[in-house]
Amino acid sequence: MIELNQVTKQYGQATVLKNITLSIDEPGIYCLLGRNGAGKTTLLKSIAGYQNITNGTIKVDSKAITISTLDTGVSYIENFAKHFNLPVRKLIRIASEVNPNYDYDFALDMMDRFELDGKKKFNHLSLGMKTMVSTIICLASNKDVILLDEPVLGFDAIMRVEFYDMLTQSFQKHPRIIIVSTHIIEEIAKTIQKLIIIDKGSIRFFDTLQSVETKAFSISGLQKDVKAVTQNLNLIGQDTVGGLMTSYIFDYPPEQTAALEIHPLSLQDFFIQMVGHKGGAIK
Amino acid sequence: MKAVFAVVKRLLASNKIGFIITALVALCATSSGEVVLSNGNYAWLLAVLTPFFFVFYDFTKLMHLGASKKDYFFGCLISYGFLAFCISLVNTAIHLLIDPVYSAHTVINMMDVCKWTDNGIIVAGVQQMFFLLLVMVFLHVLLSMQPHWYGWLTDAVLVAVICIFTPIAALRAVLSGFFRIIMLNGNAVLHIGICLLLSAALSFAGLAVLKRKTL
Repeated sequence: MIELNQVTKQYGQATVLKNITLSIDEPGIYCLLGRNGAGKTTLLKSIAGYQNITNGTIKVDSKAITISTLDTGVSYIENFAKHFNLPVRKLIRIASEVNPNYDYDFALDMMDRFELDGKKKFNHLSLGMKTMVSTIICLASNKDVILLDEPVLGFDAIMRVEFYDMLTQSFQKHPRIIIVSTHIIEEIAKTIQKLIIIDKGSIRFFDTLQSVETKAFSISGLQKDVKAVTQNLNLIGQDTVGGLMTSYIFDYPPEQTAALEIHPLSLQDFFIQMVGHKGGAIK
Repeated sequence: MKAVFAVVKRLLASNKIGFIITALVALCATSSGEVVLSNGNYAWLLAVLTPFFFVFYDFTKLMHLGASKKDYFFGCLISYGFLAFCISLVNTAIHLLIDPVYSAHTVINMMDVCKWTDNGIIVAGVQQMFFLLLVMVFLHVLLSMQPHWYGWLTDAVLVAVICIFTPIAALRAVLSGFFRIIMLNGNAVLHIGICLLLSAALSFAGLAVLKRKTL
């Protein structure tokens, strides 16, 4: 369980995380979405205890997490993590030795599945393969909380599909909290249970994908018709072209009429409306 | 404990360059004349090189492999203890077996210079071990502090102490007194006790620094 209470992080005058209060109670695969510089990495590093926060508290399984915490129970991996320049198989073996609950068999299975050459030294791997090794090490650690920061960076399409399968397989084997930060939204949708959207250091959305499917819609039509049906709804964005208007809502949609076109929003469109800074916000 | 020993194993294995440099210097160093330096002295080089690798090379990589800061801390302490023992053993062996072979009248070994051999070779080896442990822990803490303002402040204070205490006779006596206690000390019990005490105090300081260490 992760609890963030009024978490603020400042770098000099810049506030990167603003009063974040968030509680993740249940095991699951959570997707952390946000634009570049939204605060994703800072948030993940803070939860992992790799970075100090300016204000607030972070708890993992009721244990306060700061950089002073010597054993956090959190496994975090960043996309350009540096490792010892050793053969991959040896690196994975060392990881199994330093992690008490390491799932060595899972790590070896994944190594075979991704056709990683166990004899190849880490520095000789491609960017995608390096990221894959880091991800396998992190997932196999079996810690209570797994934080993956942009794990699919440098992966080709096939590797990304394999990665999502690996994520699901790992979770099914050992249910725990896994947070994945990514920019590739639609692909991960099938894998995740909940979505966290962070923007300019604040959490803008934290709910299930089902809620997006049932509540995120675009309503198009003549300006007066659209305004009339959306006046009491939760608007997250609006586009106007001539006399036509498209409103984006996060609410139960109005009844379909001949004058209106109502369509569910894709996850990507929903994300764009949430962080596109056109005045959209969930009330 | 399994994780701690895995960290120890990794720390020692990734210290290969330190071992090689020390071995090369110890084997290749030559001196001639009536007074020569013992090659065993150069084994101390490993004690100086090791903390650089542990602090600047191994920490981040071990964290990325999933090791905890706690295991890293204990792993470093155990490794320093083990290396202090090995270096001391090597220097003692060289002092016993190789130094007498020199044709020179005087072979200078640090164990003699520090008056440790006055207490017999075994006690001298033990004194050397605890002194080297102190050196490694001190360097580890000093190097760990370098990314922070207090590291630079400590550097400045150390330089200032040496610069100010050396030219002024009264202060020079204080400085030499300090080195007589921690290094040039013929009283084995006092020397080992002081080294252990300082190592423990520095270890706690190192723990405080480690707690503030970020990735």
